[in-house]
Amino acid sequence: MESILKIEHVSKTYTGHKALDDVSMEVPRGSIYGLLGPNGAGKTTLIRVVNHMTIPDCGKVWFEGHEITADDIYQIGYMPEERGLYKKMKVGEQAVFFARMRGMGRQQAVRKLHEWFDRLGLLDWWDKKVEDLSKGMAQKVQFITTVVHEPKLLIFDEPFSGFDPINANLLKQEILGLRDRGATVIFSTHNMESVEEICDDITLINKSNNILSGSVEEIRRKAGGNTFQVLYSGTHEDFCAAVTGKANLIGQSEGVIGGYTQQKIHIPSDDNVRAVIGSLNDKVQLRSFQEIIPSMNDIFIRAVNGTL
Amino acid sequence: MNKIGLIVEREFAERVRKKSFIVSTLLTPLFMIAMMVLPSVLMLKGNSDTKNVVVIDNSPEQFVGKQLTSGKTVSFNLLDEGVTLNAARMQYKSEYGILVIGSDILDNPQNLQLILNDASSMSVEESIQSQIQGILRTERLKRYNLENMDQILADANVRVNGLQTLKNNDQEDESNMEKTSTTASWLMGLILGMMLYFILIVYGQQVLQSVIDEKQTRVLDVMVTSCTPFELMMGKILGIAVVAALQIVLWAVLVIATSAFVLPLIIGTADMEAATAAAMATSGAPEFAGLMAKVTNVGYLAGLFLELLLYIVGGFLFYASMYAAIGSAVDTPQDAAQFNGIIMMPVIVAIMVMMSVMNDPNSDLVFWCSMIPFTSPIVMMARIPFGIPTWQVVVSLVVLFISFFLMTWVAARIFRVGVFMHGKKPTWKDLGAWIKMK
Repeated sequence: MESILKIEHVSKTYTGHKALDDVSMEVPRGSIYGLLGPNGAGKTTLIRVVNHMTIPDCGKVWFEGHEITADDIYQIGYMPEERGLYKKMKVGEQAVFFARMRGMGRQQAVRKLHEWFDRLGLLDWWDKKVEDLSKGMAQKVQFITTVVHEPKLLIFDEPFSGFDPINANLLKQEILGLRDRGATVIFSTHNMESVEEICDDITLINKSNNILSGSVEEIRRKAGGNTFQVLYSGTHEDFCAAVTGKANLIGQSEGVIGGYTQQKIHIPSDDNVRAVIGSLNDKVQLRSFQEIIPSMNDIFIRAVNGTL
Repeated sequence: MNKIGLIVEREFAERVRKKSFIVSTLLTPLFMIAMMVLPSVLMLKGNSDTKNVVVIDNSPEQFVGKQLTSGKTVSFNLLDEGVTLNAARMQYKSEYGILVIGSDILDNPQNLQLILNDASSMSVEESIQSQIQGILRTERLKRYNLENMDQILADANVRVNGLQTLKNNDQEDESNMEKTSTTASWLMGLILGMMLYFILIVYGQQVLQSVIDEKQTRVLDVMVTSCTPFELMMGKILGIAVVAALQIVLWAVLVIATSAFVLPLIIGTADMEAATAAAMATSGAPEFAGLMAKVTNVGYLAGLFLELLLYIVGGFLFYASMYAAIGSAVDTPQDAAQFNGIIMMPVIVAIMVMMSVMNDPNSDLVFWCSMIPFTSPIVMMARIPFGIPTWQVVVSLVVLFISFFLMTWVAARIFRVGVFMHGKKPTWKDLGAWIKMK
C-alpha cells in the first residue's frame, strides 16, 4: 500500500542524551498506526520531528512521496498530549479560531463545528469559557479542533487519557470513522488495549530505537510463536504419542476443565499443524484447538525487556 | 498575512474584553490627573497643624528668641531666662519640641538644639534654621556699624530672572524669531519621554507574558502546527500594539474630558483656578505661557504627534520583538527575570539621559543616545521639544526602523527554536546558537 508518511533514519540528540537513534517507519495511507513505547522512549520527539517542531540531526521525513515542507504541516492535525487551549476564551469562538487558522472560512467552520459539537454532546457549552469545562470536555473540544478541517494525516498523542470508558469509546468510534472517510491516523499511546482494538500497524520505540514494526496481527502471531492450547479427553500417553515428532509439549498438562485436560504445545513448523490435529483426532477426543496469540500488552513488555 | 490578521484579531478581542483592561483604562487617567492636581490642591488647602515650639534662649538678652516670629508652620513660646532644660523637658511634654539656643550662638551658629516630643518635620526644621540664620546675619552686620546698611543690602540684592530666549532663523525680520522656553521644552520632553518609556515597558511586558502563558498552557504546540513561528510572533506583537493604540486614544479622550468637565464639578471652579495659579507660580508663569503657546499651535502639534507616533511604533516593535524572543526561550516569568534585566538596562540609561537633556540637549551623550535604537525613542522624544535639526530626527528614525527589522529577524530566529524548548533555562550561548541554527 502507498504510504502517506515515511520516516527514514531519523536521529536527534539533545545536549547529553539521544532522543532518537536512526528511527525509520512507514505509515500506510488510510491506516490507523500506533506509535508505542515506554515513557521517554522518544515518541513525542518523533512526532515533533514530523510536525517540523524539531529539526532532526539527520534523516528525512517524506509526506505523500515528497520531502515534507512547512506547507504540508497544515495537512496534519496534531493533538498534543498536554492539551493546549486558551483558557479565557469561549469554547465555540476558540474552535472557530483554530479552524480558521487551518484555512477554513468562518461560515464553513461554524457549520462544521456545530455538527461536531452536536455529535459529541458539547453544543450547550459553545458559549462557555474553556476554564469552566471538565478535563474530559476540554479533551473533546481539543479533539474537534484537531479534526474539523479534515486533515489528511491525524496525529493524536495519548488521545484516551483523561476519558471515562464511555467517552473513550465514543472517541474511538470517531477515530475509526475518520479513518473510514479516508484519513490516516497516527496515535501514540501506552494503552495497549486500544492498540489491539483499533490499530492496523504499529511501531514500538524503546530507548530512542525502533525495536518492532509491522501489522498488529502479524506481530501478535509471530510473538505467539506457533503455540497452541489443546483441550481433550483421553490419556496423557495417547496425547504424547499423537504429537511426537511434530510438536513439543510446553509444561505440564494443566488440570481439567469439565472433564477435559488442557495442554499447551509448540508446533515448530506451520506445515505440521494440520498433521497434529489429524493424529490428535485419531488418538484422543479433541474438544478445542486454539492458537495462543499474546496480547499487545505482553508483547510490549517482552519487547521492552528484550525477551521477545 | 491572513494568519497574522487572525492572531491579531484574537489577541485584541481577548485583551479588550478583560476586566483589567477596562479598569486600567478608566483608572489610569484619573490617577494621572490626581497626580497632577493633588499637590497644588494640597498646597493650597495645606491643613497641616502649626507646631508649638518652646524656646530656651541662652543668648545675650535673649536677642535671638525675641526676634523669632511665629508663623503658619511653627509658633514659638519663649521661656523666661533661667528656666533649665530639664525643668522644661518635664513641663512641656505635650508641646512639639524644645529649641535650645546656646549662649555663644552669634559666634558659634552650630550651638543650636531641638529636642523633640514628636516626629521630626523637615519644614519645621527649615523654618527654624532660616529664621535664625537671618537673625544672626543681621546681628553680625550690625557689628560693622555701617550707615544705610539696609539700603546697601537691598540695593546689592539683585535678582535676574525672566531671561527671554529666542530661536534664531534665516528670516530677516527679527520679530519673526520664535520664543523658546527651556523649562517648558523640558517639561514637554519629560512627558513625551515618559510616555514612550511607559509604552515600551508596559506593553512590551505584555508581549513577554503572553508568549510565556501560551508556552505554559501548550497552546503554542497547537498554534505552530497551524502557522509559522514568525506569523505567530508578529501576530502577538501587532495584536498588543493595537490594544495599546486603543488604550492610549481612550486615555487621551478621558483625560481631556475629565479635566474639562468632571474636575471642576468635584473641586469647584474657583479652587481649580487657584490650583492652576499655584501650579503656575511654582513652575514660573512665563514658562507656562510659553508651553501653552506651543501646545496650542496646531502645525507644531501635528508634527510632534507624527514624530511621537513614529517613535512609538518603531520603539515598541523593537522592544516587543526582544520581549517575544525572551518569552519564547523561557518557561516561567521567573526565568525571564534575568533576561528582562538586560532589556531594562538601556531603558534606565535612556531615562537618566533624558533627565540631563535640559542641561544641554545637544551634548555628545544626549546626541548619541538619541541615535542608538535602544535609547533613541525615549531620549529623542525628550529632545524634540527643544527644536533640533530635522536631519537628526530622520537619521534616528531610519536607524530605529532598520534596527527594528533586524531585531525582528533575530527575535524570530530565537522564537522559532525557543517555543519548542521546555525545561532547561537557556543561556546566552544557547540563544546565540539558536540564531545561527539553520
